Amino acid sequence: MAEDLVLDTAIRDWVLIPLSVVMVLIGVLRYFVSKLMRSSQLPDAKALKEGQVIIRARNLKSGANFIPSKSFRARRVYFTNEENGLLYVPKDQAQNAQAQMFSDPNMAMDMMKKNLSMLIPQSLTFAWVNFFFSGFVAAKIPFPLTQRFRAMLQNGIDLSTVDVSYVSSRSWYFLNLFGLRGLFSLILGEENAMDDTQRMMQMGGFGFDAARSLAVEKDSLDIIQHDWALPKMEQRAEEVLRKLLR
Amino acid sequence: MVGAAEEAQLNRLETQVDNGGGGAWEYLCHVRKLKARRPDKVLKHGLSILNNAKARSNLGAEEWTLYEQVAIAAMDCQRLDIAKDCISVLSKKFPGSTRVGRLEGMLFEASGAWADAERAYERLLQDSPHDQVIQKRKIAMAKALGNIAAAVEYLNKYLEIFMADQDAWRELAEIYVSLQMYKQAAFCYEELILCQPTDPLYHLAYAEVLYTMGGLENLQTAKKYYASAINFTGGKNTRALYGLCLCSSAINQITKGRNKEDKESPDLQSLVAEALVKDYKKKAPAKLPLVTNTLKSMKLIS
Amino acid sequence: MDPRGKEKQSDDLQIFSAENLQSNMKSIYYSRTFLSIVGGVVAGIWGFTGLMGFVFYFLVMAIASMLFAAKAKFSVRTYFDSWNRIVVDGFLGGLMSFVLFWTFAYDIVHIF
Repeated sequence: MAEDLVLDTAIRDWVLIPLSVVMVLIGVLRYFVSKLMRSSQLPDAKALKEGQVIIRARNLKSGANFIPSKSFRARRVYFTNEENGLLYVPKDQAQNAQAQMFSDPNMAMDMMKKNLSMLIPQSLTFAWVNFFFSGFVAAKIPFPLTQRFRAMLQNGIDLSTVDVSYVSSRSWYFLNLFGLRGLFSLILGEENAMDDTQRMMQMGGFGFDAARSLAVEKDSLDIIQHDWALPKMEQRAEEVLRKLLR
Repeated sequence: MVGAAEEAQLNRLETQVDNGGGGAWEYLCHVRKLKARRPDKVLKHGLSILNNAKARSNLGAEEWTLYEQVAIAAMDCQRLDIAKDCISVLSKKFPGSTRVGRLEGMLFEASGAWADAERAYERLLQDSPHDQVIQKRKIAMAKALGNIAAAVEYLNKYLEIFMADQDAWRELAEIYVSLQMYKQAAFCYEELILCQPTDPLYHLAYAEVLYTMGGLENLQTAKKYYASAINFTGGKNTRALYGLCLCSSAINQITKGRNKEDKESPDLQSLVAEALVKDYKKKAPAKLPLVTNTLKSMKLIS
Repeated sequence: MDPRGKEKQSDDLQIFSAENLQSNMKSIYYSRTFLSIVGGVVAGIWGFTGLMGFVFYFLVMAIASMLFAAKAKFSVRTYFDSWNRIVVDGFLGGLMSFVLFWTFAYDIVHIF
């Protein structure tokens, strides 16, 4: 390790600790703000029904062998026929679904709120950190790292001679951003468990694509082989009774 | 459905609470979680918490859940005065809430004001048309009033959307059986078997419906389902054993004149008959001759 | 903190009550997070550096896994659908919190 830097205790008292405390407090504040802004949306009938259809189709798939083949075939036709089967989604409708979601103002509004509650405090804190604490070497991680991490850990100070394990205040902010997630889930409960990264992911995927999962269920129902399990049951019952009578 | 272990724990807690051992809140939570219906106990212990200002405030936000639980229990016990008090506390705390509105509707129901209840539910459904509990209340009300046709209609409408709801399927199956609409009932039981492929009770009920419908094919299928019920219960379900006996004797009667290969293997039926006899020998020896005579007349034992 | 809520198990077929399984997993997750934070602070105060800290983390997690198993009376199958739930889940999730609190405590105590 290179020669140790001597850090002023004032940096600890006026940078490291306040920064961390503020991060925690902002996390808590954000949680309550997003809770306030969350509009309780009623799921519409179509989405509800699609969810239920999928559950039922899965049940049919997993329990298929327990009902007579006549009943199974009737149900399969009911689910997958190409006219009005429950799982059948017409081609054009499937494409429209995405467009529909974009055009739904409620949905867009909700997304906006979510994003705002996430983005505004984050950029505000970042600006605040930048403004107040720029250019400090605030901390030192207790394990060595390679040069590659310099950009990550020493964001905001341009000293190529300082050992990589020293962390600039701005990078400490980022470390906090990711590392405090566990703490939040402890103090705020499970609702916060859905963290920012997951939310980002959802933004890309736009939630749950009903048409696609319906199509998946339909395909897997179509290829299922029905093999009625009940005829075997008579033999098994015989065995059970033999054991019982013995 | 309540698992045996959970029920045992619940009973243990109940005796503990009954004997003044504390843990009333834990007991109430348990009842709620298992959806057990023990209104008298819930009313007694819930009220003792609610009447104790300190214990009540210890619950924090759970206090209101307890009010709801006690209100429902009070309605079960026809203590409408208590229910009314609880509901008025809740509606003061949460004005305009659907959940409280539901309770108010139930209070109307409990006091027999059917028209008022109907109106209340209708109003709630306008605000939240997909509220499962309210729809179920409406179904239950129709059934309680003896308006079975309406109950069936509501249930079908409900299942149109919530088609993965097992309890609703079961209710519908039972109503269909009571209306002797066996085909429809069989469909419902098939649906239930799909939901829980290893539940012997559904197999048993399905077999019974098939047996009642009659016809060789149905009887043979019924026999298979009786067999699977026996399999899942380990041969301890007397009803399944009897059912299998009846089935085989009915099948034997139908296939009497036919050639040999159509006949079922006699192994299973004699085993079942034996198992029945053994069961009666052990548990009700006084009725043994009755059983042996019946089985003899069905030509299942000699 | 402890895996509460009994799991319902029936037959030889594995049938789990999804709700209970979730609650068990949640308790495991909370315990792990809590332990990684506490472990981080302890490691920082004791002044572990480099590999020692990570070894400490793995040790804590291993002990935690053992305790979970003991709490489940070594019949993990009753409470979880697989051993992985106890041994692996949340192992890496807690690492970030651990590193953060380790660094924090270490800096406050030793660097300045």
